[in-house]
Amino acid sequence: MIDSEQHPYVEWIAREARRPVVTDPAARERVMAAIRAEPAPAAHVPLWRRIVEPRALTLSPAAIGLLAAGLVGIGVLAGGFAMNRDGRMVDQPRVGVAPQLPVSDTVVRFVLVAPQAETVSLVGDFNGWDASKTPMARAASNGVWTVTLPLSVGRHVYSFLVDGKWSVDPNAPLAPDDGFGHANSVKIVRRGSVL
Amino acid sequence: MRLHRPPRFALGLSLAALVALAAIRPVAGQDATVDRLAKLDQYNRAAVELMLDSAATLGLPVSYLRSVAYEGIQRKADGRAIVRAVRKQFDLLKTARATLGTVDSEELTAAAAVLGAGARPNQLATFRAQQKAPSRLEAFAVWADLLTRGVPAEDAFSGLSKLWVDGADDATFLRLWKNVQSDILQGLNPGTALQNRIRETPVRASPQVKPPEGQQENQSSR
Repeated sequence: MIDSEQHPYVEWIAREARRPVVTDPAARERVMAAIRAEPAPAAHVPLWRRIVEPRALTLSPAAIGLLAAGLVGIGVLAGGFAMNRDGRMVDQPRVGVAPQLPVSDTVVRFVLVAPQAETVSLVGDFNGWDASKTPMARAASNGVWTVTLPLSVGRHVYSFLVDGKWSVDPNAPLAPDDGFGHANSVKIVRRGSVL
Repeated sequence: MRLHRPPRFALGLSLAALVALAAIRPVAGQDATVDRLAKLDQYNRAAVELMLDSAATLGLPVSYLRSVAYEGIQRKADGRAIVRAVRKQFDLLKTARATLGTVDSEELTAAAAVLGAGARPNQLATFRAQQKAPSRLEAFAVWADLLTRGVPAEDAFSGLSKLWVDGADDATFLRLWKNVQSDILQGLNPGTALQNRIRETPVRASPQVKPPEGQQENQSSR
């Protein structure tokens, strides 16, 4: 180990450290002049720069929770509007634009008179014989049940389910029993025809 | 985005939101993708699917056979009955194809219905030679209906084949059906009702008959 009292360099360093600092009085003016010489920053920051430049945000846990809940709500609403109740995606309605059907489809109206019925639905080869897919609507007080739907051109076999009981269409030709003990009805759909 | 606070809370909520959305959308879309054949037991389902595969291989309308199975499921028919029904329609489609040759799937299913209602393949073959008409769908629909309503097979064949050979159009067949149906509902014997209505049904003039000079063929007289 070196003894600092006996080393000349230590004494010299100490003396230099204790000596008061003498500054040039014009130094401050020179620095400020240099700053003034720099061009002033633009007052208007371009939009793209505001967007791409990183910035720090501070959010409280409550604000984060509200943000997440809002995102979930938007997702649920968007999903609800984009699907019908069969779960298929549907186009958003557009004001002033008629719904477009596939070229091969024709709009067909089914009608059944059943004044005493509580529920009537249409089942057939066009909806997989699923009673929940095509419920019919009752016209006010006259017992006429109707539904309108697009069908492809060709031959379609169908029946009505009146309060859960199978019924053929009295205004359509019969299709023979497929093997289940009951006849069905037949609709021949031609291109462009509305039946 | 850089957060001053460690974003564990936000990550947790975001994850929960994603899980919730993923859970919602499949539930809403489930109905469209469910295979209703899954309601059959595995043996009957396999039998039905085997026939569907065979139909696809033969170029027969698979959707029609699948629809028959769906109808049976909706009618809560026994699984074996569904298999029998699909097999019966499969056989009828093969017979119709062998009888009529290459026709579109709609006419093929209509022809299968005619056979299923009681017509014979050689009767169906009468409709094979006629290529002038754009479609046999209406004629086959009326034919199957009349057989289902109890019109004797020979009467139905003779009456409808006469109209067909004479060039009757869809409207003529439809009008005949409505009239016969009305007569049957009023209590007339189905065979008699058809014979009466056939006699009074106008059809177009024979295509071989040339119209007089300067006169167009009257299409409305069909």
